[in-house]
Amino acid sequence: MTAMDTPVSTSSPKRVRTPLNEFWRKFRKQRMAMAASVFIVLLILAAVLAPWIVPYDAEYSFDYDALNTPPSAAHWFGVDALGRDIYSRILMGARISLTAGLLSVLLGAVVGTVFGLLAGYYEGWWDRITMRLSDVLFAFPGMLLAIGIVAIMGSSIVNVVVAVAIFSIPTFARLVRATTLGLKHRTYVEAVSSIGASDFTIIWRHILPGTISPIVVYATMRIGTSILTAASLSFLGMGAQPPMPEWGAMLNEARADMVTAPHIALFPALAIFLTVLAFNLLGDGLRDALDPKVDQLR
Amino acid sequence: MKNFVLPRGWRTLCLGSILAVSLAAPGVALAAGDVVFAVGQAFETLDPYNTNSTGTQSAGRAYYEGLYGFNQDLVLVPLLAESHEVSSDGLVYTFKLRQGVKFHDGTDFNADAVKVNFDRASNRDNRLARYNQFNRIAKTEVVDPTTVKVTLTEPFSPFINAIGHPSAMMISPAALQKFGKDIGFNPVGTGPFQFVEWKQTDYLKVKKFDGYWRKGYPKVDTLTFRPVPDANTRTAMVQTGEAHFGFPVPFERAQQLKDEGKVDVIDAPSISVRYVSMNVLQKPFDDVRVRHAINYAVNKEAFGKVVYAGHAQLMDGVVPKGVDFAHVSGPWPYNPAKARELLKEAGYPNGFETSLWSAYNDSTSAKSVQFLQQQLAQVGIKASLEILEPGQRVQRVSQAPDPKQAGVRMLYATWSASTGEADWALRPLLASEAWPPQLNNTAYYKNDVVDANIAKALRVTKREEKAEIYKIVQEQIWKDAPWVFLNTANNVYLRNKKLSGVYVMPDNGLSYADIEMK
Amino acid sequence: MPSYLLKRLLGMLPTLMIVVLVVFLFVHMMPGDPARLAAGPDANLETVELVRKQLGLDRPLPEQFLTYVLNLAQGNMGVSLRTKLPVTTEISTRFMPTMLLTLTSMAWSVVLGMLVGIMSAVFRNRWPDRAGMTAAVSGISFPNFALGMLLMQIFSVNLGWLPTVGADSWRHYILPSITLGTAVAAVMARFTRSSFIDVIHEDYVRTARAKGASEPSVVGHHALRNALIPVVTMMGLQFGFLLGGSIVVETVFNWPGLGRLLVDAVNMRDYPVIQGLVLLFSLEFILINLIVDVLYGLINPTIRYK
Repeated sequence: MTAMDTPVSTSSPKRVRTPLNEFWRKFRKQRMAMAASVFIVLLILAAVLAPWIVPYDAEYSFDYDALNTPPSAAHWFGVDALGRDIYSRILMGARISLTAGLLSVLLGAVVGTVFGLLAGYYEGWWDRITMRLSDVLFAFPGMLLAIGIVAIMGSSIVNVVVAVAIFSIPTFARLVRATTLGLKHRTYVEAVSSIGASDFTIIWRHILPGTISPIVVYATMRIGTSILTAASLSFLGMGAQPPMPEWGAMLNEARADMVTAPHIALFPALAIFLTVLAFNLLGDGLRDALDPKVDQLR
Repeated sequence: MKNFVLPRGWRTLCLGSILAVSLAAPGVALAAGDVVFAVGQAFETLDPYNTNSTGTQSAGRAYYEGLYGFNQDLVLVPLLAESHEVSSDGLVYTFKLRQGVKFHDGTDFNADAVKVNFDRASNRDNRLARYNQFNRIAKTEVVDPTTVKVTLTEPFSPFINAIGHPSAMMISPAALQKFGKDIGFNPVGTGPFQFVEWKQTDYLKVKKFDGYWRKGYPKVDTLTFRPVPDANTRTAMVQTGEAHFGFPVPFERAQQLKDEGKVDVIDAPSISVRYVSMNVLQKPFDDVRVRHAINYAVNKEAFGKVVYAGHAQLMDGVVPKGVDFAHVSGPWPYNPAKARELLKEAGYPNGFETSLWSAYNDSTSAKSVQFLQQQLAQVGIKASLEILEPGQRVQRVSQAPDPKQAGVRMLYATWSASTGEADWALRPLLASEAWPPQLNNTAYYKNDVVDANIAKALRVTKREEKAEIYKIVQEQIWKDAPWVFLNTANNVYLRNKKLSGVYVMPDNGLSYADIEMK
Repeated sequence: MPSYLLKRLLGMLPTLMIVVLVVFLFVHMMPGDPARLAAGPDANLETVELVRKQLGLDRPLPEQFLTYVLNLAQGNMGVSLRTKLPVTTEISTRFMPTMLLTLTSMAWSVVLGMLVGIMSAVFRNRWPDRAGMTAAVSGISFPNFALGMLLMQIFSVNLGWLPTVGADSWRHYILPSITLGTAVAAVMARFTRSSFIDVIHEDYVRTARAKGASEPSVVGHHALRNALIPVVTMMGLQFGFLLGGSIVVETVFNWPGLGRLLVDAVNMRDYPVIQGLVLLFSLEFILINLIVDVLYGLINPTIRYK
């Protein structure tokens, strides 16, 4: 449908390096991205170790005499409306929210990318069908889709992952397709094609790398959205069932207490915010490190 | 409690960023004599016979009236009827009607009007959503313009309660004729206010009816009902003065609003019971000791404090206080040691695993089931929670075709006996005829004494005798404990300080007759 | 060009037909019985069956589908099971409030988002970039119901400057459109930055620089044009999402829009309204895609329409 004819950058490396070395060399330079990676690693570590390091049980320990009390030495993040320790819940919640956020985006990105690559590369009827299906999916209200999935599979956190993944598929597909259409007609791709490379090789070796940058940028943004979407599904009674300390669900539960005890909402909101921020900074760093053109600017 | 205040720097930032806005005039002008209600539920239709929406019904009391109605304490009072007599076999009810009452369209209210309304409601072919409330009416006859005789197919002692219910309103026969099926969009009654306009998404507006039979009433010009589903938004509207009345208000905020002192915070009793039904057809709930143990295991005092911020009354009987023929049997004491002992006796020394569903997905219900889960865990019962969305509830609870296969174990639910009488607090929930998919006996409870006496009470018209029968029923149910008896939550609502004479009634409806604005 | 448009418009029909079928099957597969939900907890089984008849849900599914499609062909989308109003009325009364809110939200958020994005790209890795992107990330990760409640608490309750609910005057639009537009502005900023950085390093931009074109001309003319294509795609997507009505914002600000209608319809399993809404959303998406494709051509004339 669209074809862009812009010249191709012809950069020649100064000396031979492996791609991994090259990537690491560039990535290391990004201080913010490095900091974000450290944060994410720590978060994942905390999530893994959570059951051993939480001071209180996240679901069953309660203190009805300390309802809604703000942060203190005994409860670092305060106590929620059901007398539970918010710090413990945030730590345990990291396991659920991270898994849900990452898995769903990964699933959506992989499926969406495959569809997008094929649609963009082959065009024709395959493209039309893919785009038509993605139109249908786009138009389908998320809540409706979630209820349908729950109808088929029953309520659980797994459904959240599936539902959120399905929401992401069409966006990834569309994004990758658009980039593929652009890359397909570039000289280097046409050159590889003319020396008889197979479709698979062209797509895998020469087009996919070009689509990585928008995918990574969108995926990192999507992780935050996924965590929040998971939250609203929990709120509708689908997905993470209470008292599971899923961050989004915690935030939603804090709604009624938002005015009288803002700390109950503050900490899950902060957890989501910092996590999303870290993933975004990481995404930016990855993008710069993966982009072959950036180097020349410096 | 603290007020919500932003840090200083934040405030400056906000001030700066919307400088342009601050130039606009503040405050919201309100028409004199217009009272705005921010209510929780949207109106679906204004035909009281064809809805189960309490929102529709409570607004309906502004423009419709029935033969009987409830006062603020849920006591039946005559409205369009002056009195009635019941035949000794309990089959024939003769009503003497109030004279000189006119509908908003100028036509007279008389025995013919009553006949038209009852004929409409009791006719199966009209397929109205309230049909089972009127299906016992065999025929309605006009004796003279102010006397009407209703014959029932079988004795039904709570009949007066059934017609005092906000669905049994008198609609103008001329309007029914004129609008046909569209009567749901054009209500014409005898109430203190008459219908002006209904914009589905925005508001329902009514104005003072000059020909109202109670001379000198109503004392305000117009009422506007605005459905506002978000509780915090509703609260904000009353705080800013955009609404004069807000109901319901989050329990969590009542104290803070009271301390603020800008609006009246009213905490009134209700008849909405909160309970957990236990499926007695299934292990381990088939053992009465287990059911008792669970009742001992739950600290109901703490339940009211944690979930309802103290705005609740302990349930001290099967039928809540305020409903006619309620009998006090409790409250059930909190005694976890005894609970563990009973569980041990029943063969569950280490507790067991089960599921607890919430029939609703609002935040108060979500809190409630989590609280219950914590309590059950204290005696070793591990309950997995599931919060059901309305469609799921209907599918998995109400429509379960085979009682033996029903998936429900413990179900957190609420009930408000809308007729204000024991029959509707017991029969739909605890009689064996009410097992799903019929009605809401989600405990699948069946007791012959209870069944027989619930049926018998319908045939008895003498009060003392009825009270005795209902006492037996309630004692038996309390002993069998098919429910965890929790509490009745209060109705918490906000009222502008200038507004008076308007209340939330125990059945969650609104009462406007004496409404006044200073 | 006109023949291209005509072809695209005709091409919509099969998609819409798929949507009609898929949605019909989907809504009937959802758990929950609309008759039971409409009749409510006080109704016994007999009454539920009466209501089922009243709603026309007692007939076999293929027959219901056929009736629906035939009515649809005549422009009749059926009657809401909940309110008994025609679905077209239900939807049309809520369409304009959603449309206006979407437009106001998009207007400021796209302009702001793109400005921030361009600034960030130009001053890449320096403080305007850092500040801009931190703000953008905050915009994405701040849950909008919390933002809405916060704004209402400050500007309506505490300061009394703005009304809480309703859609009557321009002042009613301020808070909801800020709440709704924040996430869009954030996405636009990130996307603009990203696609700008891509083109800034392209040879033709460097060529333009080498030729001695001034920096504003390079950014504004050469880079902007090409960077706009993915940005416009994203803009179209966001526009489509907003047109679906935001459940959260409409609930907090009591906005009479499509999002709340959808929630009510799903809760009560109001099949005709759900079907009508999904059909509308599909139509909107397809039209937006078409407009986006046309915009591609306007932005970059080298793109050919086939």
